[in-house]
Amino acid sequence: MQTIGFWGYPHPKLIEETKKEYPNAEWIDLDIDFEYPDKNILPESYCKIIKNVINNTVALNPIKILAPIGKDKCDSGWFAAQLLKDMGYNVVESIFEEKTYKKEIKISTSNLPLYDKITQITANIVEDNTDISPYTQCEAKFGFWGVPPNDLEILRLFPNETHVYGWTRCVEAGTPADIELEMYIDEDVPTVFYSQAFCSKAQLAKYLADKYNGLYIDIDDYANNSIRAKIEAFLRLR
Amino acid sequence: MIYLDAGTTYSKLITVDEEFDSNYLVKQESNKNYYIIPSSEINKRTINIKKACGHMANADENEIIALANGCKSYIDSDATILDLGSRDAKWIRFKNNKFHDMDWNTSCASSTGATVEMLLKFYNLKREDLEFNDDKFAVTCGIFGLEKIMDDIANGSDAKSAIAKFVHGIAYNAWSFAKKPKKIYLSGGFCENKCFVDSLKNYCSVITLGRFILCEGLINSDKELLHV
Repeated sequence: MQTIGFWGYPHPKLIEETKKEYPNAEWIDLDIDFEYPDKNILPESYCKIIKNVINNTVALNPIKILAPIGKDKCDSGWFAAQLLKDMGYNVVESIFEEKTYKKEIKISTSNLPLYDKITQITANIVEDNTDISPYTQCEAKFGFWGVPPNDLEILRLFPNETHVYGWTRCVEAGTPADIELEMYIDEDVPTVFYSQAFCSKAQLAKYLADKYNGLYIDIDDYANNSIRAKIEAFLRLR
Repeated sequence: MIYLDAGTTYSKLITVDEEFDSNYLVKQESNKNYYIIPSSEINKRTINIKKACGHMANADENEIIALANGCKSYIDSDATILDLGSRDAKWIRFKNNKFHDMDWNTSCASSTGATVEMLLKFYNLKREDLEFNDDKFAVTCGIFGLEKIMDDIANGSDAKSAIAKFVHGIAYNAWSFAKKPKKIYLSGGFCENKCFVDSLKNYCSVITLGRFILCEGLINSDKELLHV
């Protein structure tokens, strides 16, 4: 089967064009850790998500890669695109910085488990899936700010009444480069500000955690017991 | 009933209405007995634990929660409590008696108690031999700190003062890590390290709480006991 790879949130027009070009292709989110071997192309200490992008590409050899390189992703995405082009992959660069595709935010503020919220929001990038568990809106007890973590299991530590903020909320809103929305926080909601280690968004996460008295955490690949305990303590003591 | 804080190097244990091994008894207060025992020794024994926390135990309580529950009767309404142990550092802050902030440097042992113990053993020194030194090594990473100790000794400094500079560096890091408060309530093994406490006093006032705060937190959080 033909595989289309992508990372971040490629421009919707590009997604539609590619779907028409390859109607039967399987779409793979290259950000996700499928545990393919590290090809040692990137430095050992580097953003695990970008390492996933490179290692997944080498392992899966997609026929085409939709590669966000703008403010909707990060500088590392831009560099990864250049590397993969140089390695001979069919890379189509994407910049999705406008706000014309704005969608209603409803999963981020729902009573779905946090794990389901975030995996559903990212799954909806390529295919809007209405076939998910029924949900209702709920009042936030806690907040989770950030990108979908490499270690998605940490999301299971949070209660269902956890609202999603940051880039993931921007993705649901169809505006992945909306910095105002990315920095939006409900001040009274105790929030965990998550950053992937070696990600430049750590700058925002640390700043916002200090500003709103939240908990800043960064995780490289998988959370150790102490990181889990730290999140658990924050959720119990706040 | 036995409450256990099983640290990487030493375990702290409080028994309520019962006794443990008197070889490790450090103090007694009413119906409570306090023990400090090497964690390697704990692992050899079968002990009926009521509640435990710590790296070396099948913990049923989170160490930050235990710290929060253990310190409350000793602190002001606005307070920063730092627990510095063998392997990690954690702090918690209360504002108006309510939890306000926390952090836990989760896994890097290189600048905490175990390193100091190893250094003392390596240079055949006792903790009491160390005295506060005005100078400090930058020990963001303990491995680089070790290199500085070796360089310092190679350049004619004695091991005592070189390690004291290292300990001063740890104290500065710990204070910075806790967001530079004016006062720190110190919990954990470093309470007994005068060189460390004096170094920390260089930056803020220090009140030592001793090594049993997490254990006391286990007791305090045990609602069943509180209702007795």
